[in-house]
Amino acid sequence: MLLLSLATLTVTMSDEIVLQTRALTKVYRDFWGRQKVRALKALDLEVQRGEVFGLLGPNGSGKTTTIKLLLGLLFPTEGEALVFGKPASDVGKNERLGYLPEESYLYRFLTAEETLDFYGRLFDMPADVRNQRVDELIKLVGLERARKRQLQEYSKGMTRRIGLAQALINDPELILLDEPTSGLDPIGTREMKDMILRLKDEGKTVVMCSHLLADVQDVCDRIAILHQGELKELGRVDELLTVADVTQIRARNLSAECRSEIRETIARHHGELLAMDNPTTTLEELFLTIVRDSEARPGRRAGVK
Amino acid sequence: MVLEQQLLPYFQWLLTGGDDQIGALPTFALVFLGLVMAGLAVGYAIAAARHGLLRGGDVTYHTIVDGLREIIDTSPRRIWALARLAIKESLRRRVGVALGVYFLILLFANWFLSTNHQDPARLYLSFVLTATTYLVIGVAVLLSAFSLPGDFKSKTIYTVVTKPVRAGEIILGRIIGFTIVVTALLAIMSLGSYVFVIRSLDHAHSVDASTLERIVDANDSTIGQSGRTTTDAGHFHEFKLDADGYAATSTVNGHTHEISPAGENRFAVSGPHGFVRARVPQYGKLRFIDRNGADKDRGISVGNEWTYRSFIDGNTPATAIWTFDEVSPAMGQQYLPLALIVRVFRTHKGVIGRPIAGQIQLRNPETKATSDPFPFDAMDQQVAEYNINRELTTNNGQPIDLYEDLVSKGGQVEVLVKCLERGQYFGFAQPDCYVRLPDGSPAASYAKVCVSIWVQAVVVIAVGVTISTLVSGPVALLFTAGFIILGLWRQDFVDIATGKSYGGGPAESVYRILTQANVMVKLEESVLTSLLVGFDRFFAKPIMWAVAQFLPDFSAYSTVEYAAEGYNVPWDRVFQDVTTCLAYVAGLALMGYFLLRTREVAR
Repeated sequence: MLLLSLATLTVTMSDEIVLQTRALTKVYRDFWGRQKVRALKALDLEVQRGEVFGLLGPNGSGKTTTIKLLLGLLFPTEGEALVFGKPASDVGKNERLGYLPEESYLYRFLTAEETLDFYGRLFDMPADVRNQRVDELIKLVGLERARKRQLQEYSKGMTRRIGLAQALINDPELILLDEPTSGLDPIGTREMKDMILRLKDEGKTVVMCSHLLADVQDVCDRIAILHQGELKELGRVDELLTVADVTQIRARNLSAECRSEIRETIARHHGELLAMDNPTTTLEELFLTIVRDSEARPGRRAGVK
Repeated sequence: MVLEQQLLPYFQWLLTGGDDQIGALPTFALVFLGLVMAGLAVGYAIAAARHGLLRGGDVTYHTIVDGLREIIDTSPRRIWALARLAIKESLRRRVGVALGVYFLILLFANWFLSTNHQDPARLYLSFVLTATTYLVIGVAVLLSAFSLPGDFKSKTIYTVVTKPVRAGEIILGRIIGFTIVVTALLAIMSLGSYVFVIRSLDHAHSVDASTLERIVDANDSTIGQSGRTTTDAGHFHEFKLDADGYAATSTVNGHTHEISPAGENRFAVSGPHGFVRARVPQYGKLRFIDRNGADKDRGISVGNEWTYRSFIDGNTPATAIWTFDEVSPAMGQQYLPLALIVRVFRTHKGVIGRPIAGQIQLRNPETKATSDPFPFDAMDQQVAEYNINRELTTNNGQPIDLYEDLVSKGGQVEVLVKCLERGQYFGFAQPDCYVRLPDGSPAASYAKVCVSIWVQAVVVIAVGVTISTLVSGPVALLFTAGFIILGLWRQDFVDIATGKSYGGGPAESVYRILTQANVMVKLEESVLTSLLVGFDRFFAKPIMWAVAQFLPDFSAYSTVEYAAEGYNVPWDRVFQDVTTCLAYVAGLALMGYFLLRTREVAR
């Protein structure tokens, strides 16, 4: 009985790990086989089912290399990458996987409809299922009016949206997003982040890499920070960002007396007051408010308070 | 028509082969096995260098096992999706421009093609089919060499290989897609070419009334009229009308017209007949008797480097003898239809303007009963058609029946051809004399020629797509072009590899060029020359020999000569070409699969 329980537990646990790397290393070599750069050094990672995982790091830190190794686009020099417990080079894993590359590498002579139909066929989807899925996704990414236009006529934001749609064509369990907000305007960025959160709510696992810290902070449950191919930090975002020795108080409608009292209380308890002022909104919030106001009242200057 | 290699029946070609070659299927199996072994060795060497000896073996094993599994998992829907993509990509890359170029060529073709030619159909057909071949193969090379490298460059391949697409499906999809494009191009070009040839050769004559003269019999009664047609398309025809006013004109420039009455003293002349033909020959076996009366396999040489034909000397017992099988009245109730092509070699001018005389006799190989000689005038390299009457006489004037007396019980008859003029020679090869079976459909034969062009294009596509999995577009283009060029001169390549040609291998050739030593000069003995010869013998020539084993013989694929010379393309030939093509596609697709599977897509 105990043995059975242990076995069940093991299966459940391994089933919960969607993605795993063991001492994953990648060395780029030149034509003569000489080492050019060690892009990734012995990376050990595990991503659990249903979480949004962020790979964070400056340019050249090894984020995209990691994604490519996980997809089997590159072969590891040492170590291994497992997706759904299968080696990354196994094509079968792709049945349950969606991938949005750094730039939407799509066939620009196809229309949105043709693009999604093409990728649907690659999943061996029957025509009726494929057509239904194409309609759903075009609606989801808001390209109904441009569905018959060739991608070469698309703006960058539209291209990213159709790129995301192709990544979701098979309703994947795991979605790998390489710089998902790259090239998007603030509205597009927000929509992309909302989409990631929606996918999470649907129980999908999302792995994204980005160097835009705010994006990662907004959507990721856990992050790994890479620098020069090495893993520097790994953990939950809220835990990593928590500053343990600082207390933050946010309140509305405080009088001057009350503020003065708070200062005195802090001083009495030998605390150090770091700041007490009116918060500012983010530029992103400001921009979104202006655009929404403009759409609601066309032709009038937005009045933001 | 020149046929340097005997065409074997399809199944014999496929299974057992001819006198000095094994069957195509065993050859394919051997080459395939050789390539698999070589691929395994190279693959393991690379894997071992990358991962160590044990892990390298494991990687190689899994690559093979996964590869076999993936072949089973191949999905027709995915292949078709990728084929459709290749078609759309081709259209985007303005493949239709090739059609524009082609029709532009046809528009101006009449500037340098003339209907006033000894054999205008040959000229026209040869031109349009050659142009079609070059254009279609050119398009095939460009499409196949740049497609996958383009995907690698634009990184669109990332979004394809991250779907459950097998590498083999990518290769097959590309090959099928481009094949469809090339097939459509070829169909349009071929149809356009056929219409162009037929319309260009079409012309009309009328009877030139001023040339009409009565033909009278011994009693001065009119039994017909002779005359000639008007001169159109640079020629005229002579004719002899019968008493009812009907006639077939003389053959000029490979065609005739029919004349029929169209009212009082008026005649109608039909369009040209016989321009485009599809002769169906039944070949016999050729042997010779030399000037001393001895049996020989070949005649004598007159010094030509090309040894296709050998010669018999005139006014001697030297004879060329063809033995035909399965001869029966079904070939012609009243006559035996024969065709003879003679290569005339003159050692003196003879009588200016008069052709060299020869004779044909028929002989029963068993009873040795021989017909009276049938004289003919040999026109150099022209197809002369003779209808040998069924009622013949022997040398001593006894009447004999061709089928009853000259054909053996086994259905064999011998045709004996001699040159009658001293100091002149007739040259023959086996296909130079044949029994004419009823002509096939010229349009069907033309279509079969187009199939041979298609075969070449598909092989080129398969080569281009396969090599483009490994290298960039321009390199793939060069490689494919090199493959075609080597394939066109495959025999020379094999001759160098096997040491049959003079001048040694590549290293020795370079040395000879640099030292200006022609191929017949013996190399001086030195350490350097020994090294060079050794390099050729133990390295260059074995590699060349190995390459030659899977190098397609492009020169042998072309059947343009069949159409140009007015012969029907045999079905055996078509089936052999298509089978070879499928073997190349299968082999190359498999090779492409492993090349693509073992390369880093995001490299």
